[in-house]
Amino acid sequence: MLFAYLSILALALVFAGVAHRDTNVRHGDVMQHAWKQLTPLLVRLPIALIAAGFIGELIPQALFGRWLGDASGVPGILIASLLGGIMPGGPIVTFPLILVLERAGVGVPQLIALLTSWSCFALHRVLSYELPTLGWPFVWRRWTVTLILAPLAGLLTLWFH
Amino acid sequence: MTVFFIILGIVSGALLWYRQGNEAVVQALLSGGELIVLVVPLVIIAIAMAAYAQALLPRRVVEHWLGRNAGWRGLLIATAAGAITPGGPFMAFPLVVGLRAMGASLPVCITYLTAWSLLGLQRILMWELPFFGLDFVLLRLLVSLPLPLIAGIASQWLGDPQHR
Repeated sequence: MLFAYLSILALALVFAGVAHRDTNVRHGDVMQHAWKQLTPLLVRLPIALIAAGFIGELIPQALFGRWLGDASGVPGILIASLLGGIMPGGPIVTFPLILVLERAGVGVPQLIALLTSWSCFALHRVLSYELPTLGWPFVWRRWTVTLILAPLAGLLTLWFH
Repeated sequence: MTVFFIILGIVSGALLWYRQGNEAVVQALLSGGELIVLVVPLVIIAIAMAAYAQALLPRRVVEHWLGRNAGWRGLLIATAAGAITPGGPFMAFPLVVGLRAMGASLPVCITYLTAWSLLGLQRILMWELPFFGLDFVLLRLLVSLPLPLIAGIASQWLGDPQHR
């Protein structure tokens, strides 16, 4: 956690420093842009974290251990890939939920397969951005090649871990 | 969106109270509050960082590097470009549309989007690191590194919808 704070603070300072020397970039404009992105999050994120906490208490943990725990192996990786593909929502919803899954005893290879599948299929993002801008011929091709990525990531983790 | 989360919170909270009583609800609220205190300041710094990065890296610079190239070099550049593209989908998708218009191949675009999804530094710093810690992030990055290239290469067999 401390490392996360330090690394992101360092990056922010470096970028701000570079921007300070760039005459095209004005700090006021940047902050205004940042504020616009931040305001919806300040409301949503705390609510999402609390909701995820409730849901985590409701999920029967033994069930997750059996289907997706470290001992679930390759079938667990395949289930996790499937689950990640149908999981809707951006990072605000998904990361708290995945954290809940991790605490419920989901294994690391299964967790990585889930994250990979969610990142690549991204149902939510496809509907709101990809389909309108790039069209179905692009989307189905990208989805087809994505099918192998999540199980592959899980298997590679299993191998390294 | 916000309404959805409020409803989700109320419904799951009520269900928890009904099934496990007051104490479980208070416990979940406390652990949720702890997470909020840890994560929210980080998100604020991260958004300021991302705003600076977006201001510094104009879209046309990326388009210049990916526009004409295909082959291995194009795929490698696409992987790196996807990893460092700041901003959410509102940044990445207009960029891919621009690349397509400039004649970038399907594999380059798919590699770019896959790298942006899996290796995107901004998302890793903003979300993954605070939630899962360094060890997990490094392991996931290690196994994800070859995936954008694999996706790009595999997509070559599917035909390019624009070049028929």
